[in-house]
Amino acid sequence: MRIPMAGMVLAEREFIVNATPDRVWRLIGKVIFSVLPGMESMEILDENNFRALLRVKMMGFEWVLKLKGEMVDISPPESFSVRLLLGGLGGLVKADQKVALVMTPMENGKTSVACRAAAEGMGVLQRVFLTGQARSFARQTFEAIEKRLKELA
Amino acid sequence: MKISMPEKWDVEYDVVVVGWGSAGTAAAVTAHDQGAKVLILEKMANGGGNSSICGGNIIIPKGKEFVEYLNTLSFKTTEREILEIFVEEALKNGDWIREMGADVQVFRPLEVAYPTMIGGAGFPKVRGAETVVKYNIKGTPEEGKPSQRLWTFLSRIVAKRGIKVLTRTPVKELIPNAQGEILGVLAESEGKPISIKARKAVILTCGGYENDPRMKWDYLPVKPAMFLGTPGNTGDGIRMVQKIGADLWHMTRLSCLIGFQAPEFEAAFWVAFLSEGFIFVDKYGRRFVNEAGIEIHEYYQELSYFDTEKMEFPRVPLWAVFDEQTRRRGPLSRGTAGYNRDLYSWSLDNSAEIAKGWILQGKTAAELASRISADPKALEETIARFNRHVKAGKDEDFGRPREDLRALEAPFYAIQLWPALINTQGGPRRDKESRVLDPDGKPVPRLYAAGELGSIWGYLYQGACNIGEALVFGRIAGKNAAAEKAWS
Repeated sequence: MRIPMAGMVLAEREFIVNATPDRVWRLIGKVIFSVLPGMESMEILDENNFRALLRVKMMGFEWVLKLKGEMVDISPPESFSVRLLLGGLGGLVKADQKVALVMTPMENGKTSVACRAAAEGMGVLQRVFLTGQARSFARQTFEAIEKRLKELA
Repeated sequence: MKISMPEKWDVEYDVVVVGWGSAGTAAAVTAHDQGAKVLILEKMANGGGNSSICGGNIIIPKGKEFVEYLNTLSFKTTEREILEIFVEEALKNGDWIREMGADVQVFRPLEVAYPTMIGGAGFPKVRGAETVVKYNIKGTPEEGKPSQRLWTFLSRIVAKRGIKVLTRTPVKELIPNAQGEILGVLAESEGKPISIKARKAVILTCGGYENDPRMKWDYLPVKPAMFLGTPGNTGDGIRMVQKIGADLWHMTRLSCLIGFQAPEFEAAFWVAFLSEGFIFVDKYGRRFVNEAGIEIHEYYQELSYFDTEKMEFPRVPLWAVFDEQTRRRGPLSRGTAGYNRDLYSWSLDNSAEIAKGWILQGKTAAELASRISADPKALEETIARFNRHVKAGKDEDFGRPREDLRALEAPFYAIQLWPALINTQGGPRRDKESRVLDPDGKPVPRLYAAGELGSIWGYLYQGACNIGEALVFGRIAGKNAAAEKAWS
């Protein structure tokens, strides 16, 4: 399933999980937070907002970036999006991404999970230096989500 | 007990509302809008009570099948006709909030923590569970947490109407006449008694008894129980109605999570884990439950087991044992709810709380056991057995689901946890008209109650129903109180 989204697409992935959409919904929140690449720590601000510290490698160095996430457009058990604001290095790094996940029921109690990440707010410089990093982050996250969901389903 | 009528009343109102939270606001605003002159009396420095520091969610069911769900949960402790009225009126909660100038949004959290805050039914297998929908006052996190938005809204609609509120004014007695009609209240303001005539009625909305140690010890099924909510709820309303001969109900019922009691703080901290790497053990270092399977408001069901040989509650306190990954995943106490919410900011990686000695650590299970006074061999075996189950992908002892399992790796940490009340549910028995009843089932004239003081939740509790109920029966009480004929 193609997810319509504004912004520059960073990564897309679709896979099938051997579980119902209800079960995938129950798993998905905890799965996402357990597989975010480089996550050092996380604080839940309320049930739909969180912030985290991410340790990432960029330009040959390791950096700690601040991530702020907000769950939006939540419609259980079909879909939700996460708006991610990434910042750090004294304001040099600033990125706004939206990640959408759509769960579609299939035959035999299976669920198709479609993931798409798009960059929503990046300046030209940011785009030049950060796009590769953002793509890699989104790709790794989707792969890890798929792996973990399939393990648990 | 004889309570004497004052020779002269200090002030007069049509309707006197005792306690200013959700129920008090709904009652006061409704009575005011029906033309009554209303006074709100609040003993604390500010209003809000538990409404301003709870999860802030409000039940607005999807349909009348919700009655079946509640009827099952009530376990015959609340008459069906009361539940029917509740559901009929709860369906209108959203309309009432919109009429009052705010709006609601559906509460649909992602289920990321243990215990898990869920958007739907706490008991999903019960008939009618699909009708459970929680809402909160529409707004962004920048506008406050849901309960802060709720209280901003509620206090605004009181202020907008110019309803008189006296804070720091605890009510001490209800004043009945010889026929048992409640004619007013005796309060205390700046250390002096003040008699307040209620020409039409008194409405009690002053909460439960979660901060009254004696009542908790007398009534609750688990002992001791700490509190997460407002220190103001000390059972005042219960003592007042006992003195005028009202019946009580639901006194053993509670909404109970788990919390850490820091010696420096009055209230406990609500504790939740952001990673699967934790277990609960009793005083002896033994697991006793599927830690991921407890309904968030019903922890006392698991903790109230009493060992009649040892004559103790072996799970009170319990210990949560967790590992480094869980420690680093995020603060064990979140700033979303509870009285301590704005009093202390828990460190992101729990390091400050380790330094304070709130969280204990051990390089090995045996070392940790010695710190928590558990049997080292028992704790070692508990962790080893749990890890074997994780490896096998099946918790053979308590059936904790596979997705909620992760092996614990040294070093280990532990935090002492207690049953921690959001609120109690007991108080004066009331009918579907919010009238307080005597032991014969007859209404006490001119006396109403709503909210957590004698709530209609008599057995299992569905989240978001306390505020939903406070708004519903607050409105009913306010309407009926305003319709009473004034006495002279």
